[in-house]
Amino acid sequence: MNRLSLIIIVALFFSCVQAWGSRTLPIPQTFSLKNGMKVYFLSDATLPMVAFRMVLPEAGSLTETQEGLASLTAELITKGTPEKSAEEIAAEIDFLGASLSFSAASEFLEVSGRSLSENFPALFQLAIASLTAPTFPQAELDKERNIRLERLKSIKDNPSSAVNFYFRKAYFGNHPLGAISLGNESALKGFQRQQVVDFYSSHYRPDSALLAVTGNISIRTLKSLLENRLSKWANPVQSLQPLRFIPIPLPAGKKCLLIDKSDASQAYFVLGVPGIKKADPETASSQVFNTLFGGRFTSWLNSELRIKRGLTYGARSSFQSWRNDGIFTISSYTKNDQIGEMLKIVFELIVKAKKDGFDQDEIISARNYILGQFPPTLEDMESKVRAYTELTFYGESFDYYDHLLSRVSSTDQSSARSLASRILPKEKYVLVVVGKADEILKRLEPFGIWEVKKISDPGFH
Amino acid sequence: MINTFFRVFVLAVFVLTASLSSAITRENVKVHMLTNGLKVLLLESKTIPNISYYTFFRVGGRNEVVGLTGVSHFIEHMMFNGSPKFGPGEFDRVMEFHGGANNAYTGMDMTAYTDWFPSSALEKMMEMEADRIQDATFDPNVFESERGVVASERRLSVENNNDHLLDETVQATAILAHPYHHGVIGWMSDILNWKRDAVLKYYKTYYAPNNAVLIVVGDFETKKIIPMIERYYGKIPAATPPPKVTTMEPQQLGPRKLVIRREAQTPGFQAVYPVSAATHPDFPALQLLDLILLRGESSRLYRKLVRDCQLAVSVYGGIQETIDPFLFSFVVKPKVGIELDRIETEIETVLADIVKNGVTPNELQKAKNQVRTDFYSPLETIAGQANLLGQMEIIYGDWQATFQVIPKIEAVTAERVREVAATYLVPDKKTIGLLIPKEGEK
Repeated sequence: MNRLSLIIIVALFFSCVQAWGSRTLPIPQTFSLKNGMKVYFLSDATLPMVAFRMVLPEAGSLTETQEGLASLTAELITKGTPEKSAEEIAAEIDFLGASLSFSAASEFLEVSGRSLSENFPALFQLAIASLTAPTFPQAELDKERNIRLERLKSIKDNPSSAVNFYFRKAYFGNHPLGAISLGNESALKGFQRQQVVDFYSSHYRPDSALLAVTGNISIRTLKSLLENRLSKWANPVQSLQPLRFIPIPLPAGKKCLLIDKSDASQAYFVLGVPGIKKADPETASSQVFNTLFGGRFTSWLNSELRIKRGLTYGARSSFQSWRNDGIFTISSYTKNDQIGEMLKIVFELIVKAKKDGFDQDEIISARNYILGQFPPTLEDMESKVRAYTELTFYGESFDYYDHLLSRVSSTDQSSARSLASRILPKEKYVLVVVGKADEILKRLEPFGIWEVKKISDPGFH
Repeated sequence: MINTFFRVFVLAVFVLTASLSSAITRENVKVHMLTNGLKVLLLESKTIPNISYYTFFRVGGRNEVVGLTGVSHFIEHMMFNGSPKFGPGEFDRVMEFHGGANNAYTGMDMTAYTDWFPSSALEKMMEMEADRIQDATFDPNVFESERGVVASERRLSVENNNDHLLDETVQATAILAHPYHHGVIGWMSDILNWKRDAVLKYYKTYYAPNNAVLIVVGDFETKKIIPMIERYYGKIPAATPPPKVTTMEPQQLGPRKLVIRREAQTPGFQAVYPVSAATHPDFPALQLLDLILLRGESSRLYRKLVRDCQLAVSVYGGIQETIDPFLFSFVVKPKVGIELDRIETEIETVLADIVKNGVTPNELQKAKNQVRTDFYSPLETIAGQANLLGQMEIIYGDWQATFQVIPKIEAVTAERVREVAATYLVPDKKTIGLLIPKEGEK
């Protein structure tokens, strides 16, 4: 065999690997650290920048025993190490022109950061020092507690975001997904430093962690950064338990809640029903359905409420999915005297979608739209590290999007309609409105029996 | 510590300068001028099979007059509402059918139409974009319905949002004469009273090829796209150039203060000072001063107001790149129950300290590092590249100003930062705005 043909064979082999990998997402190099952490790396020299993302499945808010504890712990991670004070850490991140955040999602903790390539070693070392040896100074806990108490109050001054908090409580009740990451007033006031320390010790662990890095950095540099502190980070004594997920309670009937904000000139609503889980076999149909119903500018909801009638600046629907369950919500807002008309139209559209479904041109349009808008969603470094960690977390392979897009291409009228019938509500839903009760309560009567609370009442339920 | 950082920084500058040349260079951006005055910037990029297609018009709040405030933004909405060739709503329907999505934004100085679509949709998108810039219908019924949409947007973003209500009132108090006095969304009474004829006249004045820049970045071939652009845009006639904005803000001769009282859970505080336009030689030093005062937990004002004195939950703001002089703003979210005057005093202490003692070499270097990260981040995407080129063209009059951003910042000394603080951030130039929760309705 001469040299040229060998090169050709090698080249063919690599191009095949690429083709077997994924058409949509470049396949990263994968390896594990001694403590079990999985690492995904993709070299990309387009710009002199590096981004990383780490997911810790045990440390999200679903595992917390008190509302807000996971988020508070995440926030305090960067507020002190044996070597550096909170102020020094903040000063160093700022100096590097970098960003670094620890935040608790429901199902996992996410750590993300980015910087110029040259500053990445310094940023990453700082992130790892914080992650593996936080000191949780009491004074920092007290400061953060006070800031959170203030933030909780200010949410209520903005009805368009407040309505989501009220909805969360009304829909999920005491289920862990009902937790507000900022916490609640009494829990915040009562948090002891030891609770944060304990949550950290039992929930932050490397053996289930996933780390993805991409950008202008060599694998050798990355490995040398991982070799020191991160690979020596020990697991807790208690072995890893399988993640539990308590099923979300189903709406029992029409649950309607009105939050009275006496100076509101618009009324804001969120309507929610059960949705689908992450790996639902109908995910592709759900995307086609949602694109048409409330997921894009010309969707049914936005066409009827904004484009045709000028009732609102925007109306939309969306799915939110977790590993084992999900919800579907519809939301919009309008002038106080038009909220009745708006909700009437929403329910008419629901009936129409269930009964008639969508026509063939609409299905083609939604498929084109999803396929055409897909490439930018994996264009930048952040979206790639997000894809690597989340696909792995949810047990999907890196060619997931290829299959999803191909299923989108074959979604037809009957699958979109059957999804609509499965999801859209009839008699059981949760409907929350924030607005001026004096002016809107009578307009809301056709949609259920309303419980009315004042926005100045403590908490969100 | 500083020395180590300094070495890292020198390396970074070298690498970054080299890499700007691979993302956007004077050579890989092709400029094409049409005879009707439309300027076109083309940048091929094959990273994804998509195109970012951005059209910028030199029109915004800056060009508006009393009675027509908010009209630039309203026209942005009406641009989606039909022409003789594509009926109301058709633009979005056809675009989405071909796999495209879009948005638009209106600012003080510009209106931008931002389309993102697969390469296969290029010609259809171009046909529709060229059509709507010359032939939007302003159908009377749609006009009324869209008026309702904008009124809803104003209720959402200003009237039911205390922070923005305070923004709007402070801006109108700090700027008396220049059209930046009015918020871009417009006053509610103007929104409810715009007349179709006046709006149409405004549209005809500002929506002309000689008042626009088209930026195309992504997966296309330059030699094929130029004839296509000539075909769709070439016959659109140029218009009489729009009137120049001549109103200048008079000098502020003493502090101003305003108070809003309304139902609220938490108070609000703002302090603003007039500063120069983006093209003024002081601007790069002001950009660094902005970052030193406000960016991150190590910034001067975060440390003072949030960390040390614990008077506030957050502080943000800063300057904006604008064609005419605008404001340096400090937006503070105070803690409930504190004396708001203390915030004013502490801000003035911080500013006076900079005026007297200047900023440290470490602070200066930190701010320069932050500018570089901010500058390069949007270049990751074709949309970010298109947006940057367009904004440079509108604000600085030339996309090649892109290459001046980093050198200008590098040239700023600590003393220049101190000087601009001493020039602009002085007590007689301030406007203070307070939002105080109404008593008994907490």
